[in-house]
Amino acid sequence: MAETIDFFLNGELVSVQCPENETLLYLLRERVGLRSVKEGCGVGECGACTVLLEGRAVNACLLAAGKVRGRRVTTIEGLSPKGRLHPLQEGFLLMGAVQCGFCTPGLILAAHSLLEENPHPSREAIVQGLAGNLCRCTGYHDIIRAVKWAAKRMPERE
Amino acid sequence: MIGTNPIKIGARERVLGLTRFGVDQGRPGDLYLLLLRAFTAPARIKRLESDAAGRLPGVVRIFTAADIPGINRIGIIPSTKDQPVLSDGLIRCRGEAVALVAAETQEAGMQALGAIELELEPLAGVFDPKRALEPDVPLVHEKGNLLFRQRVIRGHADEALARSPYRLRTVYSTAPVEHGPLEVEGGRADWEDGRISVTACTQNPHYDQSDLARLLGLPPELIRVRQSETGGGFGKKLDLSVQSYLALAAFHLKRPVRMVYSREESFLGTGKRHALLIDYESGMDAQGKLTAVKVDILGDSGAYASYGFAVCMRAAVHATGPYEVPHVLVDSRMAYTNNAWAGAMRGFGVPQMAFAHEGQMDGLADLIGLDPLELRLGNCLRNGSTTATGQILKDSVGIGDCLRRLGKIYRAWQPRVRSDERFRRGLGIGAMYYGIGNTGVSNPSSAQMEFSASGELIVYTGAAEIGQGSDTVLAQMAAHYFGMPLEQVRLVRGDTKRTTSAGASSASRQTYISGNAVLDAARDLERILKEGAAAMWECRLDEIEYKSTGMEGPRGESIPVTEIVARLARQGREVKGNGRFDPPVTVLDHQTGQGAPYASYAFAAQLASVEVDTVSGLVRVPRVAAAHDVGRAINRRAVRGQIAGGVVMGVGFATMEEFIPGKTDNFREYHMPTMADAPRITPLIIESHDPSGPYGAKGVGEPSLIPTAPAVANAASRALGVRMTHLPMSLERVMETLSQTRNSKPEIRNKSGF
Repeated sequence: MAETIDFFLNGELVSVQCPENETLLYLLRERVGLRSVKEGCGVGECGACTVLLEGRAVNACLLAAGKVRGRRVTTIEGLSPKGRLHPLQEGFLLMGAVQCGFCTPGLILAAHSLLEENPHPSREAIVQGLAGNLCRCTGYHDIIRAVKWAAKRMPERE
Repeated sequence: MIGTNPIKIGARERVLGLTRFGVDQGRPGDLYLLLLRAFTAPARIKRLESDAAGRLPGVVRIFTAADIPGINRIGIIPSTKDQPVLSDGLIRCRGEAVALVAAETQEAGMQALGAIELELEPLAGVFDPKRALEPDVPLVHEKGNLLFRQRVIRGHADEALARSPYRLRTVYSTAPVEHGPLEVEGGRADWEDGRISVTACTQNPHYDQSDLARLLGLPPELIRVRQSETGGGFGKKLDLSVQSYLALAAFHLKRPVRMVYSREESFLGTGKRHALLIDYESGMDAQGKLTAVKVDILGDSGAYASYGFAVCMRAAVHATGPYEVPHVLVDSRMAYTNNAWAGAMRGFGVPQMAFAHEGQMDGLADLIGLDPLELRLGNCLRNGSTTATGQILKDSVGIGDCLRRLGKIYRAWQPRVRSDERFRRGLGIGAMYYGIGNTGVSNPSSAQMEFSASGELIVYTGAAEIGQGSDTVLAQMAAHYFGMPLEQVRLVRGDTKRTTSAGASSASRQTYISGNAVLDAARDLERILKEGAAAMWECRLDEIEYKSTGMEGPRGESIPVTEIVARLARQGREVKGNGRFDPPVTVLDHQTGQGAPYASYAFAAQLASVEVDTVSGLVRVPRVAAAHDVGRAINRRAVRGQIAGGVVMGVGFATMEEFIPGKTDNFREYHMPTMADAPRITPLIIESHDPSGPYGAKGVGEPSLIPTAPAVANAASRALGVRMTHLPMSLERVMETLSQTRNSKPEIRNKSGF
């Protein structure tokens, strides 16, 4: 049963016709056409589908589309509005945290959520905060360095 | 340019979310493809009825083996193509594909899968590779259950063992492992004027093209395979997966189709790391020199061959590890069973063998009372050494340097390693050598290079970039050769229509083999440009100098590259350099396994610190130092990235990963290391400069993983005081070991701080 779901996607109001219980992942990939949101496992174990819901990292594969009604959803496109790289994106580039890059959008968004809560995380806090995002290429070594790099360069919040 | 750290080509698009992988290829209007798989194995198909399912709304067609116009047998190794794309009537292992549904929507496709009537008659099977080779057992294939056998015989191992004052025999075993790239298999195919175009994630587009042509009974020219950006491979994307189904459906339906495996399907529908059973006996003299090894290897290929032949052979060749052993007797066999089929995975059997030979080295060190690092240093290969296959290694043997480099860290860490009531701690070393490229066979790469009208350097390569960084490394070599900035190099990559074969992105071979092919193309292009200039200035070729801005003649003449290119083009000459490289190797003697199977070898040694929780059985790996002789690091950042990634995959192999069909077929049950499981890693780059490599480079993709599990297992063995002989060292296995040893004296001495 298709319903109308209105929500804010990267700052813009969008309106989508879909069943309430369809996953946000399917909605974003197949209905909106945002292929930057990845499906890695479909069961909430790998974090490749991470998006921000009201700024907090969530697995889009586990979230029913109906739950985002009226709320703010951010994907990787929302971090670099005018093509200007976010410090996390820059950190991932410079620290070599990107190998195959499939986990990258989800990891950057998860790191964004982490830095929102804890702007200067310790190594342990980074590890705890990002342990829900799998990466099979990098061994996480350079991802941790990238998040540290970005944390030093995030714009100060008022 | 060589040895620098340029940002990886394609990384910017990846952080922006712009990259389109295989799973992202589908477009609105494409048909969805889904597979019906069988879960009882072995079995015979008694009835397969799909007419009613085919009439459901939204279902376009259902294909079975009868719809395959060509040969329904695929496989990378020409002599062992044994795998049907759709079942030929038998289900040889769990998850075998039976029917292919093409539907307007995913939902309609799912409905059709549910409506197909499949009746199976269970058959007697064989699930133990040892049993599979006994007489009077069910045959997985008519030809028998022995897929391949490779011996390596040098000297007289039995006699040498009998004379050795120290002997150690241990049986090691490993479990099947899943590759777990974050991207599953996915792609799209289209049909136009009798030509089929497949775009999918893959590690070897040119192989894909040739087996798809066989499958469809078409000439290869009618099939174009383009490698989409690929979200990791590790060997999993070497065999055909979605490509076969995409091509088959596009062939019949003459319209675009898309297909993506579910994660569970990805576990079931691709080959795993081979489980090996290794019976290893070593001999040592009173001075601590290895005298002989006698090794019996039995591998489980599961129901299909895939890369089993290559794994069997490579395991045999690498059985001694990076040591001088005068007497060697290796018997390596690969058996078919009805288990999940095994294929290539990062290391082709060498990670399993390294677990065994390194366990032996530590065991021998204890027997003789020598430090494990010193024992290795005393036995390791050096320039001029002869390998188990009788190959003399002339140069670039960096294992000694790797071990010495680790030695400093080893001594620094030793005093910190102390066990307490609950946590047992230990350090362990793992060493390895690895032959770059395929074993004892021609495995060429080719490349082309030209300047565009605007002066960009265009490199054409068939080498699949799967995240490892071959695009960047090949572009760096081309840029370096012509003295240009990397930004002015453009790659045309992984497209059977526009590039020629580079062989597979496997066997750690692209930097070395395709790198050499790219340099060969560069030399050819330079020659063409110089010939043009020499004709114009009426001088000899050797009087012309190439400068990054253009060509300079003997009398001060100069001409920009773009102008000479335009001039030659006007004369009707093709201004494209052609390059090729095939590593000089010899075929192994089938009886004795003697020969020179590789033109270059990488070396590595790693040190792991391990902490075993005696309450939970959890093996944690807080730190790893990894020393790798890569010949020359073309891109240091990428080399360190490969090392860190390999180490963590090795930690998974050592401590947690085991594929059990029907039980661990998603990340919920199959655990791969998360950030919380990853050690702190110290990558150490050793550069021995291989004169046969491009700018001295060898390879690092697989070597990065190989020493980790041995180092972790040796450290855990130290910590527990008993030799760990099976991987993974899961919680259950560690608890079992603890309960068995609680009341007995430890086998392994725990010297102070170690």
